[in-house]
Amino acid sequence: MGTYIQFAAIKFRNNMAYRFEYLMGILNTVLNFLVYLCIYRALYGGASEIDGITFSMVTTNFIISLGLTNAFSKNEMFLQDKIKQGTIANELLKPVNFKFRMLFEDLGDGFFKVLFNFLPAVIIAMLFTEIMPPAGVFGFILCLVSAVLGYIVLWYISFIVQTLSFWLFNVWGLITIKNVFVNIFSGALLPLWFMPEPVLNIIKFTPFDSIFFTPVQLYIGELQGYEILINFGRQIFWIAILYFIGELLWNKGIKRLVVQGG
Amino acid sequence: MKDIISLFFAYAKSGIKTRFQYKLDSVVSTFAVFFREAAGIIAMYFALLKFDTINNWNINELMFLFSLIFITYGIFIVFFMALRDFSDWIKHGDIDRVMVRPRGILTQLVLCGADWLAALGHGILGITLFILSANNVGVEWNAGTVLYYVISIASGVLIQGAVFLFFSAISIYFIETQSLKEIVYWNMRKFAGYPISIYNKFIQSLLIFVVPFAFVNYFPAQFLLRKPDMAAYPEWFMYISPFVGIILYIIAYIFWKFSMRYYKSTGN
Repeated sequence: MGTYIQFAAIKFRNNMAYRFEYLMGILNTVLNFLVYLCIYRALYGGASEIDGITFSMVTTNFIISLGLTNAFSKNEMFLQDKIKQGTIANELLKPVNFKFRMLFEDLGDGFFKVLFNFLPAVIIAMLFTEIMPPAGVFGFILCLVSAVLGYIVLWYISFIVQTLSFWLFNVWGLITIKNVFVNIFSGALLPLWFMPEPVLNIIKFTPFDSIFFTPVQLYIGELQGYEILINFGRQIFWIAILYFIGELLWNKGIKRLVVQGG
Repeated sequence: MKDIISLFFAYAKSGIKTRFQYKLDSVVSTFAVFFREAAGIIAMYFALLKFDTINNWNINELMFLFSLIFITYGIFIVFFMALRDFSDWIKHGDIDRVMVRPRGILTQLVLCGADWLAALGHGILGITLFILSANNVGVEWNAGTVLYYVISIASGVLIQGAVFLFFSAISIYFIETQSLKEIVYWNMRKFAGYPISIYNKFIQSLLIFVVPFAFVNYFPAQFLLRKPDMAAYPEWFMYISPFVGIILYIIAYIFWKFSMRYYKSTGN
């Protein structure tokens, strides 16, 4: 375990080197938040709530999605780069689990982003708008637990697309397309409360809404009793499915791997 | 002039060949760019099924506003990619190579670099949005409006070219300008997709006076659509896009010329 934490720590320190970048990053986040507020204020057009959804629920949804997006930042070209450069051969020889290493490097990145990008941005954003408090201590803990599960769902979706680089020349296009699906269907761009019914019926059968939206609903306290169980169940169900597909592709890919030079 | 045109086509031919070497990959990547840029609009489309309008703009009018951004970018990137990536050129010492050739530096830069993938992705999206919206926004397309539209597109390309000429001049001093571009250009472009009247005064002034995206799409669209929120701005703003483009480009050009005197090779 210590080894993997070192991978995360190195990634974290790498980020520290670019100070100007992260100042700009904070400015960027704040600016995006302000614009998002303006867009939704215009959409609400002065109404205090629409279909029972208040304006502060919308901003809270945005803040949480933003925080999780920061925490969930990944280097999605990692595997392809290793394969292209041929260094994957050496990586596989090392006495570390390659996938764990990938995961912990991403965690290091995410931890940095939350601490130095998201938190300052939220503090500045709170000057401009109200953010709802969590629905009690219990609700907050549930939100954190489901955020961890959501992270695993998202990480595995990304991992599956990345493993396709064993077969394809370039997975950049597929990763970009995957991210569009994640952004729209997870509610990061448009809160799922406002999604049209037919689209929601499709989303129900995908893992996307269990990434950001379940944590958001738990934070706000929208889910009660057995609904909480169902949502956790869905997250775990998707993790199991995605883990299975990921393992299958990874094992097939490794067998197929041909390294030229390196 | 003839010489310059043939140079452009020679560059374009080799550029397209390199870019589309891997056919399936380029089709997927082009589609990915198209889809990535469309994501915000798809989300907005869903949102407006619920909310109907945003500051009295309906989805067709919004798509028309977006289309100007994407069409101008699609054309812009055919000519100005080298300026978008100018800091890379400096870092890798590629400018030195350009300097010893028997053509103007800027001429070569404008002609040589076209990001065909982005041009197609953004361009097709822009045209799609235009086709979907042009007949549903109450614009009567006659010689006058078509002419106005074409001039607006050209002005939009020029304005963005000028902005990138500024960036490349700045990268002569600082070399790395990625995060600056991110904030000043990419963010502003994203914001300009919506009617600027929804923003607070600060962001509005940025879009009108600092990075004048408002003259790329909002004011030209207002001339054609005449939405009530135009009342907040002077009427002549609808007529000055070409001048904004030309003046901005001249200033940027002078600044760039001046800065090139301080160019130091990063060595290679």
